[in-house]
Amino acid sequence: MKSIFKTSLKFASVALVLLLGIAASAQTQGGKIELTQLDQLAAKASQSVDVNLDERLMRLTLPFLSSKDPDNAKIREVVTGLKGIYVRSFEFEQEGQYSAADIEGIRAQLRNPAWNRIVNVNSKKEGSIEVYLMTVGARIEGLAVLATDPKEVTVVNIIGPVDLEKLSQLEGQFGIPELGIESKTKTKN
Amino acid sequence: MTTANNSSRGAVVAGLLIAAAMTGLLTIAPYRAAAKGDDFGAAVKLIEQFYNVKHQSLPFLARAGMSATKTVMRMSGGQRKRIAEMGSVKVAFFEDQDFSSRGRIGAFKSSINGALANTWSPLVQTVAAKEEAQTYIYLREANAKFQVLVITIERREAVVVQAMINPQTLALLMQNPDEMGRVITNDATTNDND
Repeated sequence: MKSIFKTSLKFASVALVLLLGIAASAQTQGGKIELTQLDQLAAKASQSVDVNLDERLMRLTLPFLSSKDPDNAKIREVVTGLKGIYVRSFEFEQEGQYSAADIEGIRAQLRNPAWNRIVNVNSKKEGSIEVYLMTVGARIEGLAVLATDPKEVTVVNIIGPVDLEKLSQLEGQFGIPELGIESKTKTKN
Repeated sequence: MTTANNSSRGAVVAGLLIAAAMTGLLTIAPYRAAAKGDDFGAAVKLIEQFYNVKHQSLPFLARAGMSATKTVMRMSGGQRKRIAEMGSVKVAFFEDQDFSSRGRIGAFKSSINGALANTWSPLVQTVAAKEEAQTYIYLREANAKFQVLVITIERREAVVVQAMINPQTLALLMQNPDEMGRVITNDATTNDND
């Protein structure tokens, strides 16, 4: 009996390590990018904004958005199934207060083959905007927007099945700034 | 032999079940369960120590009156609704005091996050260093509702508010997180008669 208990514990430890490993790797995948490395920019920025809406919070609250209100119903439709919305935004007083190196960590993650850049618009006047999509088969796992101009950096990471057609409806909601993604995409096309 | 095989199979199954249960406990943790201890008090104390200031609580009667006639807000252009649950509000004011961080605003952010990280989830944090303006909004689950802790600091004043809000209200507020801190603080600190 004792030996069964000992063997069970041994298997439990090994299985636990394996399961936690799988859970950890699933957490780092699935469309979520690591944003904490941007925290250092807050010290240089004149204004910084962090918004963290995780899956549990979204699941517990958003079903309560009234479907009778047409605006809320639209939003509810767009966010249904999303597993998180994370925003980091930094404004600087002067140009040159941040460098490419400051956002290299984000770019490095987005260079992972799992991410595909679907929009890349550069404008001297309006800065640049890049939109990346992570897909597994036909399923969208996440979206990342990197918007920069000489005095501003914004990173938006939406996790889950984002409807690209309705992405613009999320601008101005849940801390996602008005990025003009739709108009810039049209300009590009 | 068969008994031995059965025993080892049993051990494997038992092991897997234990591991699965432990993984479940570790990974399906609630959205920051309600904490022990007084985090509201800890936040107030941290502000006092960092900025060398003193808070003023609302007088008991004023607070009781405020709970009973809680302020209402017009949200999403719709019906007037209460934000905080009746009787759930804690408020600490810091009026006409110096909240200059002397370039250490980032250190304050780290300190407050460190103090609350174990029991609260950060929802929104805005820092405007030049204006010495900061807003921190933290959430945690409390049964079927949410406790929200809002810390607003400006150059000459600060307010710490803790309140209970229901998921419906939170869902509406989440649509505009930039305004969320202001709306909750106004709700907690303004009387209907104002």
